Amino acid sequence: MQTREGRDAAGSGISRRRRLSPALFGALIAAKAAGRASRVFGAGGGTSLPGMVARRIAPDVLARVRPGRDLHTVLITGSNGKTTTARFVTALLRGEGLRVATNSAGANLVQGVTTMVVEAADLYGRLAHGALVGEVDEGAVAAIAAEMPPDVLLVTDIFRDQLDRFGEIYAVAGVLDSVAKALPPSSTWAINADDPMVASLAPEREGKRLTFGFDLRRSTDHITRAADTVRCPRCRADLEYAWVYLSHLGDYRCPACGFARPPLDVAVTALDTLAIDRTDMTVRTPTGEIRLSIPQGGTHIAYNAAAAITVLVGLGVPAPNAQASLAAALPAFGRLERIRAGDRDIVLAFVKNPTSFNTTLRTLAIAGEPRHLLVAMSNSLVDGEDFAWLWDVDFEAMAPALARATITGRRADELGNRLKYAGVSPDLMTVVEDQAAALDRALEALPSGTPLVILAGYTPTIEFRQEMQRRKWVGPYWEV
Amino acid sequence: MSKANGHTPLRIAHLYPSLLNVAGDGGNLMAIERRCGWRGLAVESVPINPGDNPDFTAFDVVLFHGGQDVEMVLAAQDLRRNAASMRAAADEGVVILAVCAGLQLLGHRYVPSRGEPIEGIGVLDLETVGGNERFMQHAACEATVAGRTDVVVGFENHSGKTTLGPGVRPFGRVIAGAGNNGTDGTEGAVRDNVYATYLHGPVLPKNPWLTDALIQVALSRKASQPIQLAPLDDESEQRAHDVALAKALRNRGRRTALTPARLAPANAPAPVR
Repeated sequence: MQTREGRDAAGSGISRRRRLSPALFGALIAAKAAGRASRVFGAGGGTSLPGMVARRIAPDVLARVRPGRDLHTVLITGSNGKTTTARFVTALLRGEGLRVATNSAGANLVQGVTTMVVEAADLYGRLAHGALVGEVDEGAVAAIAAEMPPDVLLVTDIFRDQLDRFGEIYAVAGVLDSVAKALPPSSTWAINADDPMVASLAPEREGKRLTFGFDLRRSTDHITRAADTVRCPRCRADLEYAWVYLSHLGDYRCPACGFARPPLDVAVTALDTLAIDRTDMTVRTPTGEIRLSIPQGGTHIAYNAAAAITVLVGLGVPAPNAQASLAAALPAFGRLERIRAGDRDIVLAFVKNPTSFNTTLRTLAIAGEPRHLLVAMSNSLVDGEDFAWLWDVDFEAMAPALARATITGRRADELGNRLKYAGVSPDLMTVVEDQAAALDRALEALPSGTPLVILAGYTPTIEFRQEMQRRKWVGPYWEV
Repeated sequence: MSKANGHTPLRIAHLYPSLLNVAGDGGNLMAIERRCGWRGLAVESVPINPGDNPDFTAFDVVLFHGGQDVEMVLAAQDLRRNAASMRAAADEGVVILAVCAGLQLLGHRYVPSRGEPIEGIGVLDLETVGGNERFMQHAACEATVAGRTDVVVGFENHSGKTTLGPGVRPFGRVIAGAGNNGTDGTEGAVRDNVYATYLHGPVLPKNPWLTDALIQVALSRKASQPIQLAPLDDESEQRAHDVALAKALRNRGRRTALTPARLAPANAPAPVR
């Protein structure tokens, strides 16, 4: 029975391997067993282990799996907004009735993406899903896109992020440029046109390109010291901005060489950020306008939504249910996630670079927050070693409203010193080394009716959530 | 010896803030501004952008920070127009703090491993050649500024290898890290009141003694007599300093602790730190 189905799948003309390979079969069995064991023993939800196991047995497992006839594949990369954009794409596709596999826990390195694929495949390597939606780290996208060329590859933006890992942002741009050039012409290259660096990539590429951005006749941000690309990516002259939307994202042109923002295929034409947990917007698409009300706040949410709609345009999947799909799209773990802690409220925000930090602070400022702050930075492999970027975060704007700051994590030292130089009085700051103890101290001091805002790097975010899970305030992060 | 007073502001030129802004070095300006402010000393800082024609001798402090390769080329072009002014400021004893690309561009030239050499302005007798390994790690050195010898900690992130000529002396002696070139144990360069270093971090906020020494040198020159600064509570600065030093000492004897920009091959194992 299964063999016959296997033949049918192979006979559909899409599969790349006609005969079952023992290595693939073994890799998939071992990977799936590893995933189950990891979940049973509670070791992080098995978000990367199955992929690691599968690649150990069959290093080319991604190229060997056999997509079904109508499978849509999407890869989403860039500095900021990968997770939320992937969640929006997933919600939109599911809203249209498609079965979607995704790496929703943000496991976005090669092994995490491989995990997504091997878990979606059956033991014969067949993918019966309607869509695979993978968010991919900028450092892993070259390998993944080569093994599994997607129908749509979307680039959210290029911001300074983990310079001690990636070197310079020009290096990231160079990699994405080669990825674009290596994509088969049948793939759609979907990009944020408001990002000059992204818009300048692979101009000669053959194949379809789709662009998204804001078409607003006002600025929603200004160029700050965290802005990265304010010079023309072609001739290095200073860009002129008609409107600035988010850090260096905007409507720009180069007075020297004429390089300018390309026309937008998908555009945000109206934007009202009403609260830290709501964004109302209008999106223009090639087939008409969509009104959206999303239960998450900030201009970055509008970019992520426009990006997600661009992906559906690229896939050719109509989205009549888009409004309802995104109206139910709650934040991913740690993206201004609201958590009820007994009789207290917590807002948990994962911050990783100056732009994500500043965007989060601007969104919180809509509600006059943060007043009571718990802030954590740690150095680890994913967090990086070099915390100099904290000096590019606009803590100065946050300082006046702050009533109390509890500082923790393995780099509490750097953070505390940064806040002191941002103008936060040392009397308002408490350093508590242990993170769980810091959480208790911050909650003890919290007046009723005021949320505790937690701003944390990647590792502390995961650790805080584990602690909150132990206290039964939240479920596991990979289930959010 | 007289106490510093706030009547005439300490004037700071902040070079190319829109070009040289990647490594948080703007924190050096914040450190000087705040530590003067806490003592009631007025500070006036002026951003210098490409196309400006500054008279650097009219400033008490010049900050010249690091940047990416592309921005470094743009900064170099503009700096060459203003070379005479910068040289005059150095000769007159203006306090100049140069970090990374700033150090390289105050030297004679920077010869990258690929592409055209970038001509510096020769204020410092040093030359830099691009290397094929990147020094990216916590680092520490021992430096003497304004008569005080102490430890300076920071984070180095450069692939250029700098060799000092006889016209300068090292800013510091390497305790941990690569320093100028990973071989000769020198860190940075000094002549008159020009202090050049590879240390980011940013370097001044976590080395309050160095910040105060630079302020003191600048104020004393301005007042034409020795100036004494009131002590401050440096608890958080000292904690940041101590943590950075402990991290640097763990790297001791290693020239490169971190693997450089590793974008390809993307599936290579991640560096272990």
